[in-house]
Amino acid sequence: MGRDLSFLLPELLLASVAFLMIVAEMARAARLVLVIGLAGLAAATLLTLPVLHADTTVFSGTYRIDLISGWAKLILLPGTALALLMVRAEIAGQDREGSVYALICLVTLGALMLAGGGDMMLLVLGVVLTGLGSFALVAFPRDDAATEAAMKYLVFGAVTGSVMIYGLTFWFGGAGSTLFSALAVLADKPLISIAGLVAVIIGLGYKAALVPFHFWAPDAYDGAPVSVAAYLSVITKLAAILAFAQVLRDMPDDSNWRLVIALIAAVTMTYGYLTALVQTNLVRLIAYSSIAQSGYFLLGIVALGASSLAVPGLIVLGAAYVAMNLGAFAVIMIAGRTLDDMRGFGRLRPITGVAMVIFLLSLTGIPPLFGFVGKVYLFTAAVESGYLWLAVIGILNSVLALGVYLRIVVPMYRPAPDGETGPEKSLHPALAVVIGVAAIVTLGMGLLAGFLPG
Amino acid sequence: MPLLTLTTFLPILGGLALMALPDRSARVAHGLSIAVTGLVFLLTLVIWSRGIVPGGFAQIEETAWIPAIGAAYRLGLDGLSLPLVLLTSLLFFLSAIYSARISDRAPSYVVLMLMLETASLGTFMALDGLLFYVFFEVSLVGMYFMIAGWGYEDRQRAALMFFLYTLLGSLPLLLAIIGLYLGSGTFDMRVWIDMPPLSGLAAMLALTAMLFTFAVKIPAFPVHTWLPAAHVQAPTAGSVILAGVMLKFGTYGLVRFALQMTPEAFAQAGQVILAVGVVSALYGAFAALAQTDLKKMVAYTSINHMGYVVIGVAVAAMSMDPRIRTIALDGATLQLISHGLVTGALFFLLGMLQDRAHTRDMGEFGGLLGRVPWLGWAFILSAFASLGLPGLAHFPAEFQVFLATLNTAPWAIIAILAIVVTAGLYLRAIAAVFLGVKNEKWTDMPDLDRREKLVIVPLLILTILVGVSPGWLIDMIHTTMASLSF
Repeated sequence: MGRDLSFLLPELLLASVAFLMIVAEMARAARLVLVIGLAGLAAATLLTLPVLHADTTVFSGTYRIDLISGWAKLILLPGTALALLMVRAEIAGQDREGSVYALICLVTLGALMLAGGGDMMLLVLGVVLTGLGSFALVAFPRDDAATEAAMKYLVFGAVTGSVMIYGLTFWFGGAGSTLFSALAVLADKPLISIAGLVAVIIGLGYKAALVPFHFWAPDAYDGAPVSVAAYLSVITKLAAILAFAQVLRDMPDDSNWRLVIALIAAVTMTYGYLTALVQTNLVRLIAYSSIAQSGYFLLGIVALGASSLAVPGLIVLGAAYVAMNLGAFAVIMIAGRTLDDMRGFGRLRPITGVAMVIFLLSLTGIPPLFGFVGKVYLFTAAVESGYLWLAVIGILNSVLALGVYLRIVVPMYRPAPDGETGPEKSLHPALAVVIGVAAIVTLGMGLLAGFLPG
Repeated sequence: MPLLTLTTFLPILGGLALMALPDRSARVAHGLSIAVTGLVFLLTLVIWSRGIVPGGFAQIEETAWIPAIGAAYRLGLDGLSLPLVLLTSLLFFLSAIYSARISDRAPSYVVLMLMLETASLGTFMALDGLLFYVFFEVSLVGMYFMIAGWGYEDRQRAALMFFLYTLLGSLPLLLAIIGLYLGSGTFDMRVWIDMPPLSGLAAMLALTAMLFTFAVKIPAFPVHTWLPAAHVQAPTAGSVILAGVMLKFGTYGLVRFALQMTPEAFAQAGQVILAVGVVSALYGAFAALAQTDLKKMVAYTSINHMGYVVIGVAVAAMSMDPRIRTIALDGATLQLISHGLVTGALFFLLGMLQDRAHTRDMGEFGGLLGRVPWLGWAFILSAFASLGLPGLAHFPAEFQVFLATLNTAPWAIIAILAIVVTAGLYLRAIAAVFLGVKNEKWTDMPDLDRREKLVIVPLLILTILVGVSPGWLIDMIHTTMASLSF
């Protein structure tokens, strides 16, 4: 028991911090809530380091302490801290500010459960915890768009969640256990394994915004505050992808699940970028491009167990994605929500402009940026596991991606509408920190990729 | 001392230093740019003096990078890459001098140029597949912003087309590199060359992917269509770098990757590759003949000249006689250097002409030789070199290529017709622009100033030197080509 708890210190700390934050919010001390949150996230990150190289399970195999869950903490916790800073820059001083911080930390707790869960019950718990918090976060602005978006998000979540729970009962019935590690016994029961698989794809596919379960995503991102959209687009998405990895690691090969995931990956990438190509709303453009990014993550899922680079690839692209997507959203918070707002941005704010170019090129997968390293891992993993065609589709989509992201870069270096130039205006300090950290990670980790897991 | 690393990263460090400077006036930016590229040029001369070795790579610098997947930071040189490195540092130095008149956002321009130089030097020196790909792609980004930011009228469209086209072109190479890695467990290009890791269908697929990438870059017919647009819209120094340095990535890759890493598949596909070369050489010449825009004309002659290189490499792969192979590869490599010198000079001269006249259309000029003798004679000399006149840079290269072709695949010698066409088109251009009736519009046109002469004279001297006595250059190339095993 003591041993088990000691492995869960980061999660336990985050849970207690979240409750402390709620208490502080009752006193209407929003600043204090933020400080507690940031300190708690930092402490939890530090507590992760000693158990990073552990490979074990706790509480009777239900919670996994392995490469995936360790790195998930190392990526999601600092990512959440950056998101808190972005929220601060956007809604400081508004009513219910502290609640947003507290909700975000609770959602991250759910995300950690998804990434570490080795059991169906934990999977359900993680989906519910991340879901409930997210609905409230999206509804924060209390206007029509936000309310509609949150309703859509909620209804979608409720339906897909129920379908997932229903399908998981098949697995439980067939395997006689809720542990994922017991799924191997389904090897000779293809129907049962497919029933559960479809259910999990629906449940987690919704959370990761895979096509065709993505419809809520652009509306939710557009209705929510930009910082909340940034948070949802990276943290809950990455958690869902890592949960996928935890579930499918133990799936027997004969149910053709690799092919199913590969098809979803191909459709998701292509649909996401094609749709992003015609958006004029910047938030929706990034929303559709993040849908496409989910497709790239699936390359790693397809290669699970067939290539030793699959899990490292998911982790590397995950870390890169958190940095570059948060960075891009932070720049959007400065520039504005439409493509026209980007006009002349690079001339008005040269340093922030360069940072934005770095984020967008990294999202495209141009070397030597971090996103490129992640994609090389995943392409290699896909080819190694015999999915050359999927790697080819991924590579072709990188060209679409360039088209999508250059739609933002090109107007950035046109003359500004009012021809205004001069020294760069100062940024909100919190946003400056977020953009700085994200840019350093995106550029630096591409060059120093040797420190990554492998 | 890690001289190769220092040389490669000095430009980008100079660029970073410029960004950190408090005073970022155009004067400071260009001064720094000239100083850095000049120093890099001197460093490459020192690297040259340290020499290369037959049968492998010299001056190797190696350190861990991503040990998990066997990718490392590896640089080195041989007789194929060293001449290209020298050409690169020279052209960037001259471009920096030429660009000193640019005042629009000069610091950004200089930073991009320096970034491009790092990427170009790195591409030629990299001995690690992944590292090569990194440098290769970074050069695209740099060139995109250069065209989009400082190009002519239709620059946005040309830049976009360039970036999308060449990214689509280069991604198959990534697949080939992944294939080579999965076949060998390392990204070390020396291992890939010594023991080609792929065979049979896998090798043919990898070769196809690489050929696609390099054909776009070379550029070879029918995937050349990005080149005229990019060249015409690019700023002058951008055109010089694009033609003089970045086109060489394609032909360099054709030898380094396609020929050396999938030799058997390359020999099997030899006839097809040879045909691509022949068609490119002829098509480039005829397409150039149809142009009235001088810059577009020179751009199309690049397709023609690079076609000869493709012919040379294909002939080398098909020939059974080691002597012929060496002659073909010596000629192909020398052609790269000659093209860099001559086409570099031509694009500089056309830039100088456009700075004065703000047009590139042949019909707008006439009788300029009397007005601007320096510009005129320099153009005439470079044009003669470009059409392959004996005693000038292209002749020894093309002679060797045709010699080997005649020996191995006599039908391909029809490509020699292209020389007649290029001769015709250059003579027509010279007649239209520099001879004939004087156009009164240009009576005030000034001749080359000191800075412009400083840019153009070294290239002309080298053009003559390589033409008259190419021995020093061929010896360097020969060291490697004579011992190439494939």
